[in-house]
Amino acid sequence: MRWAGSGPARKGFTVATEHSTASRSGFLRLGLAGAGTLSLGAVLASGAPRAEAASPSPALDVQVLNYALLLEELQVAFYAAALDRGKLRGELRDFARVVVEHEREHVGLLRGALGAKARKVPRFSFGAAVSNPRRFAATALELEDLGVAAYNGQAANLTRGALIAAARIVSVDARHAAWIRAIENRPPSPQATDPAKTRRKVLAEVDRTGFVR
Amino acid sequence: MIRGAALAALGGVTIGVALLLLDRSSDSPPVTRPSLVAAVPADDPLAPAPAPGLSIPAPRLLANGEAVSVWAPLRASAVVRAAPSSNASALGTLPARTPEGTTNIALVTGKGVDRQALWVPVRAAGLTGWISRAALGGYQTVDTLLEVDTRAFTATLHRAGRVVFSAPVGVGTVDAPTPTGDFFVRNVLTRYSSAAYGPIAFGTSARSETLTDWPAGGFVGIHGTDRPDLLPGRVSHGCIRLRNIDILALARLMPVGTPVTIT
Amino acid sequence: MDTHLEQFDRDGALRETEAALPAETRRDLLLGALAGGTALALFASEPASSATKGDVAILNYALVLEYLQSSFYTEAERRKALRTATAKQTARVLGSVERAHVAALEQALGSAAVKRPFFDFRGTTENEDAFIRTGVAFEDLGAAAYKGQAYRIQSKALLQAAISIHSVEARHAAWIRYLAGTTPASSAFDEPKTMAQVNRLVASTGFIVRRPTTRSRRRPRFTG
Repeated sequence: MRWAGSGPARKGFTVATEHSTASRSGFLRLGLAGAGTLSLGAVLASGAPRAEAASPSPALDVQVLNYALLLEELQVAFYAAALDRGKLRGELRDFARVVVEHEREHVGLLRGALGAKARKVPRFSFGAAVSNPRRFAATALELEDLGVAAYNGQAANLTRGALIAAARIVSVDARHAAWIRAIENRPPSPQATDPAKTRRKVLAEVDRTGFVR
Repeated sequence: MIRGAALAALGGVTIGVALLLLDRSSDSPPVTRPSLVAAVPADDPLAPAPAPGLSIPAPRLLANGEAVSVWAPLRASAVVRAAPSSNASALGTLPARTPEGTTNIALVTGKGVDRQALWVPVRAAGLTGWISRAALGGYQTVDTLLEVDTRAFTATLHRAGRVVFSAPVGVGTVDAPTPTGDFFVRNVLTRYSSAAYGPIAFGTSARSETLTDWPAGGFVGIHGTDRPDLLPGRVSHGCIRLRNIDILALARLMPVGTPVTIT
Repeated sequence: MDTHLEQFDRDGALRETEAALPAETRRDLLLGALAGGTALALFASEPASSATKGDVAILNYALVLEYLQSSFYTEAERRKALRTATAKQTARVLGSVERAHVAALEQALGSAAVKRPFFDFRGTTENEDAFIRTGVAFEDLGAAAYKGQAYRIQSKALLQAAISIHSVEARHAAWIRYLAGTTPASSAFDEPKTMAQVNRLVASTGFIVRRPTTRSRRRPRFTG
């Protein structure tokens, strides 16, 4: 897999996805300044070096990215339907117009990376959730928060290259989440750290929406 | 008994059927709706996220009415004015350095006023007025306050509103009294060779009113002594003397910028 | 409209300052701040824990950025110069969150933690427009900086912590941008910044300055 940035004119951010432990250790100009004996608290002791723990691999990346693709396609379909039928105006319409394009680019990046390994995505239908601005806003808020928690939940499963790509996406989803929260007068960043959810938990929440056909 | 059970069973069935009907009548067909979770293998290869390696505490807002003082170093010598404007009358000039060669500092006593440029109210050695923000470096805050009582001969350090240090002191004689008022610590001298000043000497913004021709301007210090037998009492030319063990303890607690109130 | 660190300054003094400083000095300001704290770590007697030197360097780098952000918001709240309710709320809430990030990093690093640098925010905490613009730049920078390091982190647990702070920084960026009336998400992808890029930008602000000299070994000449 190659991670060329799709999306607007991003050149030169191509990273091989081989899981390289060697390249992880050689590093950092500032790292030299920080060298020396360390006296980290017990909190750090729990984190075993990544190379020894479970095994990010290109094969696992494919699974994570297909899962991400599903969520991004869900978002694209949702915003497209809302722009079509949601009677959106003003701020909400601006939000949906910008965000749907971002989600399309996210889909493009994921599909580009997956190539033939991209899985088929189910059909969605959104019913009342896109029937009026209030329902739209509430659903958008949930979907964006869910997207952030989903990506954050997979960071440790990804190889280096896939992690870089996912990080470029997740912070934009976090921006969307904060944006819709600000519009809705809800705290844009309710906690000092964002939650990370398992695939099972995220998909159960998607199931509960009834959007999947 | 049996009848009751039968009724209960019947009731259960009825509710079940009713639920089924309700379900059917809703606009989404749940029976045919695919479940994404069902497609995830029991032992999901996408492992749950590890516990985060940092324990992030709950965010805490600043306390209302927290007792902090703000000080700032001078970037260069600067004119103190009577009002927040470059047209206001000049009260005097603050030098960039103290007589001890350290960076001069000023206490920032209130909100700035931003018209054409930003001006802030300050208190410095011998001068109280307005200074251009551009003449100051970065703001620092302290939550300490030293109170010196020249009648009870005590020095008391407060931190965040609580007493953390108290010791007997020597102060100025009747002929060369320690000035009273609101001042602040502006530097710390250490490792000099002068037993009379003890191991540590804090420089303050307070100035003797009687010893105006004193070599370095007659500023009042807070320091140790080689004559602990004289404390407490009126023994100095205006300085505040502590036993060496006390000044060393104070040095660990009192940062530069700490306001000093002398009564 | 996009906000860059270079645009902070109300009167262009920052760029002048940067131009006036030799490149070495500029870099030293930040590196010096880092080296000051790590010198302690070099002499710490405790044995190395499982965290790698690289991870510690990344945490200290994150700590400097969190110091920068938390000091900025805290000062803005204390100076009481912000007028609008939204600006006040931003300083208050983001200050509390960034202080929590600082506390977490300090606790994790223990004696290996860098010292808080000496900051001079040069009036940006006392001017509404400058405050918002600087806040936007800081949060965009914070998100880009975490993004630039996440994949380098060896410990999965620390990666998890960093990635979950990373998205919070992005939320902050979007929030302040929203308040500033600029687009909260200006592109479909957020790009990472390397340590060198971030250090250069931070140095160009002139917000990290040398600690004033308030100690001396000169013989006192106080009134005695």
